[in-house]
This record gives sequence, structure tokens and C-alpha cells, in this order.
Amino acid sequence: MIIKRDRVGIIRDILQIIKEKGNRINPTGIMYKANLSHKMLIEYLNETITKGFIAEEIDKNKKKTYSLTPRGYKFLDDYETIRKFFDSYGLN
Amino acid sequence: MTLSTLVSGWSFGYDLIFESVFAIISLILAIFAFQIYKLAGEDKSRLFGVSFLLISISYFVQIAFNLVYASNLGTSICTLANLPSNNAILYYGNYLHFLFMIIGLAVLLYMTFDINHSEILWFLVILSTVSLLVSSNEFYAFYLLSTIYLAFITWYFIRNYFRKKQKLSLMTAVAFSFLLFGSFHFFLSVNHQLYFIIGYFLELIAYILILLNLILVQKK
Repeated sequence: MIIKRDRVGIIRDILQIIKEKGNRINPTGIMYKANLSHKMLIEYLNETITKGFIAEEIDKNKKKTYSLTPRGYKFLDDYETIRKFFDSYGLN
Repeated sequence: MTLSTLVSGWSFGYDLIFESVFAIISLILAIFAFQIYKLAGEDKSRLFGVSFLLISISYFVQIAFNLVYASNLGTSICTLANLPSNNAILYYGNYLHFLFMIIGLAVLLYMTFDINHSEILWFLVILSTVSLLVSSNEFYAFYLLSTIYLAFITWYFIRNYFRKKQKLSLMTAVAFSFLLFGSFHFFLSVNHQLYFIIGYFLELIAYILILLNLILVQKK
């Protein structure tokens, strides 16, 4: 059965992937592991950066990598509570 | 001033207890929604927090005015403000309660629309406020509007339950159904005080369910 992820679920998946990859991963890695299209990846990366969940770094070869911020870790820690609250009141 | 006589009857004192419970639970829910907003950054949780904060303020305002009415301060204020009687304090207290409550419900209703147009939010808020202000019977206007708003809000939570099929979303749908029935009973209570009592108890059940839901949400 295919379970459709909502926005918060996708954000959680992205953050979890970054965490599992030792807190540093390139965008292609996120795209494949989170099963996102390129357009969705850009959209979600922008959103998670804006919300302060992840930080973007560009190395000297102009390659981008992403890492979790303390706020991103906090989101992952409290995800179950957030999930339950959103589900209760249809906030997602 | 139909409201003053209604509230100052048998229920004065008991309604303070009910309203204090509603005010505190709504405030706790609002604070929790703001904490969730801080964590997840989702606008809907902020709107939810704002709506319950306004609902909580509406109860606190009513409690404050009722307490002033019951104390000696009420007589002094009436003399200073040149008000005809102490009942005017209850009247203004109820009026402010209605205003904050209907704006809170309008914000909650907007949240259920799943849209991002602030003009619609302002439209709802202005329409609700003006409807109350120009009404010849603010009691009927308030309970009619709040019953309509709660009907749409409850329908949203019922649909949410059918989407999620979870215990917590069912609890929310049931709690809002009780709020809807409560509001409808208040609407009928102008000439029937029994409905007024039933209305308070229905709201109490709703707020207890909301509190229970919040406890379960936080349970790890």
C-alpha cells in the first residue's frame, strides 16, 4: 500500500536522511532517498532552510551540502507530538 | 439589555466556574499551538493558536466583567461612567465576550478553508464584527453566527477524522460537535433556562475532551 506523505512528513524524511548520513549530504542524495522530483526537492530545501531546520554550505568546488541545525534536531525530537497535534486538528 | 437579565439569573456564580474552566483550557491549547508553530513553522498552527487565544480572552473578559458586577467596584464604576445601572457592566462584558469569541471562531473557520488569502480572513472578521454591532439583538446574532461557523468547523474536523481514522481526530470531531450543540442550545435558551444549563454542560464536555486530547498528544 502506498502511503501518501504530507508536507510535514516529507520535511521529517528530509531531516531524518540528513541525520542518518552523518549530518552532511548533497542534494542528489536527498532527492533519491526522499523519493522527490527535482522541483519538489528545491521547493522543500528552500522551505527547510527558511524555517531554519537545515543549513546550506557551498565548498570551494561550488558543491552544495546540507546539515541539520539545532532547530532541525529539535523538530525531529518532537516530530511525534507535532504529528499527533496536526492529525488531531487537520493542520497538515 | 436582554443579556444582563439572562446571565444575572440563576446561573450567576456557576457560569463563572464554567467560564474559568473554558478560559484556562482554551489558553493552554493556544499556548501549545504556538509552541508547535515555533517547532514546525506551519502557518495553520499559528492561526489555530490565535483563534484559541481570542476564545480564551473572550472568556476572561466575561469573567472580569462579571466579577466587577458582583463587587462594590461595579457601583463605583457605574457612578463614575454615568451608567444607568450595574446591569450595564454585564451588558458590556457580554458584548466584548461575543466580539472576541466570534473573531476567534472566524479565524478558526478561515483555517479550515485551507487557503492562503488574508483578504478572506479580514472579510470574515469584519463581517462577523459588523453583524454583531448592527444587530438589534446581539444575543441572537452571536449564537446564530457562532452556530453557523461551528457547523462548518465541525464538518471540517469530521472530514479530518474520516481521512485519518485516528482516535485523536475522532475526539476532536466529537468535542467540536458538542461545542456546536452547545452553541445551538444557547441560541434556544432565550426563553428556556433549561437549554442554558444544557448548553453549559455540552460545552464543558467539549472542553474536557479537548484537554484530554491535548494530554494524549503530548504523551510519548
